[in-house]
Amino acid sequence: MDMSDKDKFELEKSNDNPTNYHSSGGLSSDWRFNSTSIPNSSLGLVPIDNQMSVCRGDLVGAASCSSASVIDSFGPAMWEHPTNSQNLVFCDINVQNIASSSNTAGIGKGVPASLRNGIDRTLEMGWNPPNSMLKGGIFLPNAPGVLPQSLSQFPADSAFIERAARFSCFNGGDFGDMVNPFGVPESMGLFSRGGGMMQGPGEVFVGSGMKSVSGGQSQKNVMNAGEASKDISMSVDHMATEGSPLKNETKRESLARSRDEAKKGLGGSSNDSDEAEFSGGSGQDEPSMLEGNCGELSAKSLGSKKRKRSGEDAELDQAKGTPQSAKGSPETQQKGDQKPTSTTSKAGGKQGKQGSQGSDQPKEEYIHVRARRGQATNSHSLAERVRREKISERMKFLQDLVPGCSKVTGKAVMLDEIINYVQSLQRQVEFLSMKLATVNPRLDFNIEGLLAKDILQSRALPPSSLAFSSEMPMAYPALHQSQPGLIPTAFPGMESHSDIIRRTINSQLTTMTAGFKEPAQLPNVWDDELHNVVQMTYGTSAPQDSQDVNEPLPPAHLKVEL
Amino acid sequence: MTSERAAATAHTGSIKNRFARRFLRSLLKIKRSDRLGAGTSTGFQSNEEVTKRNAQRIKTAAYRSMARVVGPRKIWSRALLFKLRYRARIQGAGLRKRRLVSKKKRVLRKENKVQVISREPSRADDLRKLVPGGDSMHICSLLDETAHYIKCLATQVKVMQSIADRFIL
Repeated sequence: MDMSDKDKFELEKSNDNPTNYHSSGGLSSDWRFNSTSIPNSSLGLVPIDNQMSVCRGDLVGAASCSSASVIDSFGPAMWEHPTNSQNLVFCDINVQNIASSSNTAGIGKGVPASLRNGIDRTLEMGWNPPNSMLKGGIFLPNAPGVLPQSLSQFPADSAFIERAARFSCFNGGDFGDMVNPFGVPESMGLFSRGGGMMQGPGEVFVGSGMKSVSGGQSQKNVMNAGEASKDISMSVDHMATEGSPLKNETKRESLARSRDEAKKGLGGSSNDSDEAEFSGGSGQDEPSMLEGNCGELSAKSLGSKKRKRSGEDAELDQAKGTPQSAKGSPETQQKGDQKPTSTTSKAGGKQGKQGSQGSDQPKEEYIHVRARRGQATNSHSLAERVRREKISERMKFLQDLVPGCSKVTGKAVMLDEIINYVQSLQRQVEFLSMKLATVNPRLDFNIEGLLAKDILQSRALPPSSLAFSSEMPMAYPALHQSQPGLIPTAFPGMESHSDIIRRTINSQLTTMTAGFKEPAQLPNVWDDELHNVVQMTYGTSAPQDSQDVNEPLPPAHLKVEL
Repeated sequence: MTSERAAATAHTGSIKNRFARRFLRSLLKIKRSDRLGAGTSTGFQSNEEVTKRNAQRIKTAAYRSMARVVGPRKIWSRALLFKLRYRARIQGAGLRKRRLVSKKKRVLRKENKVQVISREPSRADDLRKLVPGGDSMHICSLLDETAHYIKCLATQVKVMQSIADRFIL
């Protein structure tokens, strides 16, 4: 089937198109088909669609060559090189198509359709980002003013996606609504396909751009997304500015750019596509029908009809009409399904269904997100929001710290509470220092013992809640026995044991006092009050020490128990 | 599991223990200097004065030990240490009053300027006055520092309370 498609393609190409087409297009088509058949089952759909379009093009006659060439050029761009160059070409072609599509909607649609079908989920990721990159590079010089300043500044999160989508919707229609909520790249891809189809070529392009945005963000990086969004805006701009009459020159320009950036063969193919677009003005109806058959949303057909009516101003109509088409997508889709029965493949219908589902789902989510997020999207309000979030986060943290603050709501009241608490703590410190100062004379010979004990306790008793409990028992055995019971897991029996031994040794051997517990930390203390220390330790806990020394078993026992 | 938990508890208790150790050491130092100075100067000083001075010193020691334990990784501890060091240097140099006065003047002038420039003082400004080093902070970092400061102050109060209880017993 692939082979047959290829053959047909080549035949058509040879028939319709001049020499450049052969030189570049044939090879590219081969490439594309091979690659498509390899990666996915869905890729099989691509050739079918192409064939369909080609057939229709044949029916149309002059338009047929255009569509075929478009598809061809598109195909090579997509599949020929897995790298950037083809992407570049592809983007260019798409842009051109869009530019021309304001008049010749059918061709533009045909291209997107093939695009849709031919693109794999896996491949989308690969080619979209570079695509966007290229577009940005190409179209920046054309319409730099359109670029939103805020876009480049956005971080690479979902919010950014939303914003980008919004921007796109701002530019091209309501497309962003559906695109936004899509977190999954696959669904994004499907949806963007569907959405793009719904809105017509320009919007299709936007859709592809959006795809790249979402996919790139979910999987890759911000830069791509940002540029993709830029590209979207650029493309839209192209559409808007370069309406139908100047198609040719603009196409030429873009073509030249594409050539510059792409390879020669690709450039040739793009040329062909351009020609095809030129000629494809008459083939509007057929491509649109084709897309409907392909099972994509037939909203396009609506858009195309509108375009027919309005002619060159079709862009605006599209932008306005896209919401309608989006709403009426199910019905239109049904139409599309009915149409395809004649010639389409099942896969096309499936795709269209998927696209419609995707569009339905994301809509709701998007509304939800939008309601939550609010409208402010410029950088200042964003920063302000971040700041507010930070502050509230800290406030929450402080709420846990400050007693009696948990029930308070409102930042001012909470700040009051915090201030009061800090003041009270500081006052408490003052008061306690007063107390200590008054008590100080009495404690002369208590501190050292306390210090020694503190150190001991801090070692033997990691949980500090007990370290300074007021009823701290002086009897060490009791402590040791009670502690493990309280904190069985945290009690290092060996440590306490060694501490006890050390302490007893220290108390017995006064020569060791210099290196008592913390030789580095406590030299002064022990230097001056050596005797004091020894006396203190003896006085406070000598009997217990002796007990400990006499029976060092309890810790060991405890350890065993632990 | 036991080791993990022990490590965790030791970590949480480490600041407290270190602070207690430091504070006790500084208390010892104060007492020692007291005893050294008792022979010379205490004779013609009233008991209240001595107590007041000692309270001041103890308070300073408590704050310093707290700041030292926290180390330079927090703004408030840095500011506190700087302030205490500055004060101690002034005290040591014996220039305390003059410099303090001038500093006060400077601060006043500064405050006036700030007030002229900015809006009326808010609650955050009150908090800034309470947290050392808070004058030049954003509200976000101020809240961060406040949280840490409150934690440390609470620990300090707890430790001092337990020590005082022990002493009084």
